[in-house]
Amino acid sequence: MSSPFDINGGACVAMVGKDCVAIACDLRLGMQALTVSNNFPKLFNFGPSTFLGLTGLATDVSTVSDLFRYKVNMYRLREERNIAPQTLANLVSSSLYEKRFGPFFVSPVVAGVNYTTGKPFICGFDSIGCIDFAKDFIVSGTASEQLFGTCEGLWEPDMSPDDLFETISQALLSAVDRDALSGWGAQVYIIEKDKVTKRLLKGRQD
Amino acid sequence: MADRYSFSLTTFSPSGKLVQIEYALNAVNSGVTALGIKATNGIVLATEKKSSSPLIDPPSLSKISLITPDIGMVYAGMGPDYRVLVDKARKVSHTGYKRIYNEYPPTRILVQDVARVVQEATQSGGVRPYGVSLLIAGWDEGVEPDSGDVQQIDEDGEPKKATGKTGGIMKGGPSLYQVDPSGSYYPWKATAIGKHATSAKTFLEKRYTEGLELEDAIHIALLTLKETIEGEMNGDTIEIGIVGPPADHLLGYEGVECSQGPRFRKLTKEEIEDYLTNL
Amino acid sequence: MTSLVNQQPHSEAIGYSFSQSTHAPNKQHSFYPYTDNGGSTLGITGADFAILAGDTRSVAGYNINSRYAPKVFKIGGDDETGEGAHILLSVVGFAADGHALKERLDAVVKMYKYQHGKPMSVRACAQRLSTILYQKRFFPYYVHAILAGLDEEGTGALYSYDPVGSYEREQCRAAGSAASLIMPFLDNQVNFKNQYIPGSGEGHALEPKKAGPLPRSTVEQLVRDAFTSAVERHIEVGDGLQMMVITANGIEEIYTPLKQD
Repeated sequence: MSSPFDINGGACVAMVGKDCVAIACDLRLGMQALTVSNNFPKLFNFGPSTFLGLTGLATDVSTVSDLFRYKVNMYRLREERNIAPQTLANLVSSSLYEKRFGPFFVSPVVAGVNYTTGKPFICGFDSIGCIDFAKDFIVSGTASEQLFGTCEGLWEPDMSPDDLFETISQALLSAVDRDALSGWGAQVYIIEKDKVTKRLLKGRQD
Repeated sequence: MADRYSFSLTTFSPSGKLVQIEYALNAVNSGVTALGIKATNGIVLATEKKSSSPLIDPPSLSKISLITPDIGMVYAGMGPDYRVLVDKARKVSHTGYKRIYNEYPPTRILVQDVARVVQEATQSGGVRPYGVSLLIAGWDEGVEPDSGDVQQIDEDGEPKKATGKTGGIMKGGPSLYQVDPSGSYYPWKATAIGKHATSAKTFLEKRYTEGLELEDAIHIALLTLKETIEGEMNGDTIEIGIVGPPADHLLGYEGVECSQGPRFRKLTKEEIEDYLTNL
Repeated sequence: MTSLVNQQPHSEAIGYSFSQSTHAPNKQHSFYPYTDNGGSTLGITGADFAILAGDTRSVAGYNINSRYAPKVFKIGGDDETGEGAHILLSVVGFAADGHALKERLDAVVKMYKYQHGKPMSVRACAQRLSTILYQKRFFPYYVHAILAGLDEEGTGALYSYDPVGSYEREQCRAAGSAASLIMPFLDNQVNFKNQYIPGSGEGHALEPKKAGPLPRSTVEQLVRDAFTSAVERHIEVGDGLQMMVITANGIEEIYTPLKQD
């Protein structure tokens, strides 16, 4: 239980719908069983309709999100275009593998809609950058087992943005309620080709 | 320790010129002419393959090189320097891009990377500038310019405009660049480098029209080459590289839906001779 | 069998000719009499029935020992088939302990009937099971047990236990290796946790959707969905789904195949 991945707690999930994707995270930051903050978002924006979710050791979540803010800003300046979700995924993968023998203790998730093709895209990673390309959903964090259960039970193909929001919200809230290290509110982004909707969920505060 | 005394050989003259670079340009301007023409659906690179002796085996000479599957390069100037740059361009396209993003660099990014290599030779200790000018031709997959119309709706339901700070100017399609020994680079619709660059460019100015197709561009390239060529013109004495539609027959396999063949390829001796007979 | 006696691998398994492996002064002996045979069980109650279900795979490590090893048993039946039973027990964890526990509880319930001339109530059986488990407080039955039946009013009753006898009556419970996958799904779909009545108010005024007993067809479908989901994501769950439905008319057993991969 003293795995670096389980010290601060937290959960993240991404799902694919019809021409849209959703990504959501809880808001808890803890030190073992002690909750320190209930406002620690784990989702980061890296361009229109491209998001990165990071769970794991909180210090690494901050460091890695800052690192990718730098890398993606440099990409945007150099190439005069926004980074595509697929390209971000490969950047995340190669950057994490650079630290193969001293990794960041994070489990990243990428979600977005490709702005040229309009195709929804999600993927997850292990801490050294192995990519998990999924067609349905990606889960990460201390509530990942619970999320696997709820997502596998609730997800169905080709959901509308509204249905996708309801599904991802129910999946996340029910999952984090069965994990002592996750919860305390949640954030959900519904990403369509030309629209991003952000919602805050209250959830159980315990 | 040795580099403490390896001062840069490229130093300013009192008038503000870097004469080493000018000498390098002299090397370029005495080199064999190479030219490039951009069409709507592709690019053509062409040059003369000059052999100093009739005993040289022509097919082993190669002046136009593939850098990435969609980018090709030709030169005027010193052959050995060119081969070093080809190696470095191929290497940097992987280390500086493909190994990071798992995709090949867009043409402009590769040109900038090659230009940096060339520039570093003008400011580093113990080296001389490269004695070549390059023509780099490449195709970029369509990247729409930033429309900036993605809306963020926050919790209050207030729509707010996404920040489109850096509007993309990178459109997909063909692009043709020239890189000089100084490290400067220029985008062209059509240009020529080498011994007869000036006359070739005058010729190109006359023949170039907007909305050119690749086939027309190849035709014009051959006509331009004909004006400047010193020896005989046949499949052995000229070299042509094109950036065109994906050449799936060069993939080595078929049946995979999403994989695409290289857009850059060199024309075979037979293809060149076909074009020459129709000239 | 091998995992019962946990053999410490030889400290110098690679036999170099120059290594002095004649005496091993720090050889540690260990005896770990438990094996995790994996699998999952699940129980849900309704107004006049209770369902107890379990997958039929039995594993040891990455090996599949059996594709049909039932985890749900009838307790207190008249014969070997369990005919006449009115209580269900599911055990998941260490299969040998589960089997021993089932045999003991079965005997206890039978003895109760012989001695008292009436069937044991589910409530009494639940308390007795707790006692049996606690009696082995310092060498526990390594199982997560769930007991199901109908209570005095005829409504479905479900009791879940930890290995040493703590127990609680519940509406639904998942146990075993995929419990963490199934349980939050059940919270959401059986007890309607995190679900609210649309348009019933804003913010805190929003009314939670009330949970009530579900019809049998709905519950059966939920059990199937829960297991097919668990099979997708947990390697220890699969092969077959054994469902036992207890109603006033007796016990009905339903077997459906699950994925074998």
